[in-house]
Amino acid sequence: MRIQRIIGQSTQALGRNKLRTFFMMTGTIVGIAALTVIMAIGSGTEKKVMKRMEAFGPRAIMLIAGGGKDLPPPDFNLTTLRMEDAEAVRNQVQGIEALAPAAFKRQMPIKAGGEQIQANVFAVDSDWHEAWDWYVSEGDPIAAEDVATMARVCVIGQTTSRDLFGNDSPIGEYIHIQNVRFRVKGILKHKGTSPMGTDFDNRALIPLTTGMRRLFNQEHITYVRIKVKDLDQIETVKTQVRQLIHGRHHITPPEEDDFRIVSAKGIGDLARGTSKTLSILLIALAGLSLFVGGVVLMNILLISVGERTKEIGLRRATGATRGDILSQFVIESLTVTLFGMVLGCGLGVGITMFLAQATKIPVAFSWEPFALATLFALLVGTFFGVQPARKAAALNPVESLR
Amino acid sequence: MIEVQGLEKTYSTGSVTTSVLKDINFRINEGEYVAIMGTSGTGKSTLMNILGCLDKPTGGSYRLDDTNVGSLDDDALSHLRNRKIGFVFQQFHLLERATAMRNVMLPLIYVEDYPEDAEKMAEKALSSVGLTDRMEYKPNELSGGQQQRVAIARALITEPEIILADELTGNLDRKSGLEVMAIFKNLHQEGRTIILVTHDQAVADHAQRIIVLKDGKIAEDRRVEKQRDPDVELSTLAGGEDEQ
Repeated sequence: MRIQRIIGQSTQALGRNKLRTFFMMTGTIVGIAALTVIMAIGSGTEKKVMKRMEAFGPRAIMLIAGGGKDLPPPDFNLTTLRMEDAEAVRNQVQGIEALAPAAFKRQMPIKAGGEQIQANVFAVDSDWHEAWDWYVSEGDPIAAEDVATMARVCVIGQTTSRDLFGNDSPIGEYIHIQNVRFRVKGILKHKGTSPMGTDFDNRALIPLTTGMRRLFNQEHITYVRIKVKDLDQIETVKTQVRQLIHGRHHITPPEEDDFRIVSAKGIGDLARGTSKTLSILLIALAGLSLFVGGVVLMNILLISVGERTKEIGLRRATGATRGDILSQFVIESLTVTLFGMVLGCGLGVGITMFLAQATKIPVAFSWEPFALATLFALLVGTFFGVQPARKAAALNPVESLR
Repeated sequence: MIEVQGLEKTYSTGSVTTSVLKDINFRINEGEYVAIMGTSGTGKSTLMNILGCLDKPTGGSYRLDDTNVGSLDDDALSHLRNRKIGFVFQQFHLLERATAMRNVMLPLIYVEDYPEDAEKMAEKALSSVGLTDRMEYKPNELSGGQQQRVAIARALITEPEIILADELTGNLDRKSGLEVMAIFKNLHQEGRTIILVTHDQAVADHAQRIIVLKDGKIAEDRRVEKQRDPDVELSTLAGGEDEQ
């Protein structure tokens, strides 16, 4: 076909002047590479966010002591969140499936045999397991009776168990938290590491009453975990809880809250927020280099048209129509941007893999950046190629042969 | 085959109108070997451009095989050039970085039906101008005479009805010029229509007929009494003078 032969002429012309062709390409290469990196980081972040939301529990709401907008940790010095608040939520808010108040302290010394470690200690009631969907893999969970009798029993995480007892079963053994002795009655299922790097499996659960009266010696709790029945109810439940606690704590907005209500969506929004600035910067860079690259491409093509006036005249004399000349130069421009796109994608993938190796930035690949890159390459190639091509096509054959 | 009647060409720049060709009349039949002569500024280039369908007259008519060229649009003119006309220029106009083969095949890019044996045709055209062993050479690896012969092969590949040559020996030494003229003599003997455009009487004398232009008008239209024979001159040259 005629168009195939013209494509052949375009690629031959580009091949004959490789250095110039490369310069025409650079803007597209940088722009598309930046685009690929942004999108890989974007979808990596999104994946991480989804994972975090999943880990948090899509149907979960946390009522946490301490105001402000940041994520946990809660304010340990604040004493305003009480068991009575948790009971009021349980009794007055509709749509709750499970509710578990808890008090906790970080990094408490735990001893067993000759070993001493530090772990987070959670004072919980029997609903904790259901509220967190986190059960024991061996032994028994914290039971309602343990809470009622202020029993000195505990359930420990897998890391804690391994650090204190090695490969031996800890069930029935005793550990000391600070100076209080607890009997180990169960081991929690394996959970892994949080996105922030905390080991979820290094912990001890003790009955809520035992924790508050014997170990922590406090009247307040740290948070209440609420699991709603229906995912659609999250926002209504949040509103109800907020209004209830406002009333109980005598807070009238815009007075600052002494508590926070967090849900998976909130966690997601917060996590996304941090990567947004970087994305916007990179998008600006990609857009700018595509634009500058397009302008450079256009100028080099214009120079090229000037230099190749005689060639254009000759082609016209041997039968090329204006359309043929227009096609040839637009195809040259498109070939440059499409080839630049391929190189840019390659470079982008390389940079992304390097980032994944060298930093903690989460990345993920999908087909979208490549589709978008092709689209941009076509747009830039056409937009900036048409002007020089029209100039070439408009040349008068008589004058250009002179 | 070619019929020019009352042909005129005027250029207007602003309010100034310059008349380049005035009341040109002639016929050229198939197989004729014609030279269009004139000093520079007499309008012979303009006439060549019109005959080559690169330009259109502003008055009168130019008929090529019963097609009224003046009434065609730009695309139709392009197709007509592709099918019917083979150009040879003084400056050769070869693509610098393409081989002789690629240069010769250039007009085939723009044909309606691409021949399956395009490469063979190009080889044949190059052989017919004596460049069988130079097909993969690039212009800068060829002498001026060889480059002009590549250009002739390029003009021949589409089997055009008319070969239009503009000062084709202008950039060549005497021997190369004669070699090129010998190729043209052959083409004429094969029955092709050839139009030479030149300011040089010695070149024009190779043709059968000379049309002399003066101030945009035909001053003379005569048969050549003593047609030069490039083959004879080449053989005497081989005996005596060295090539320049």
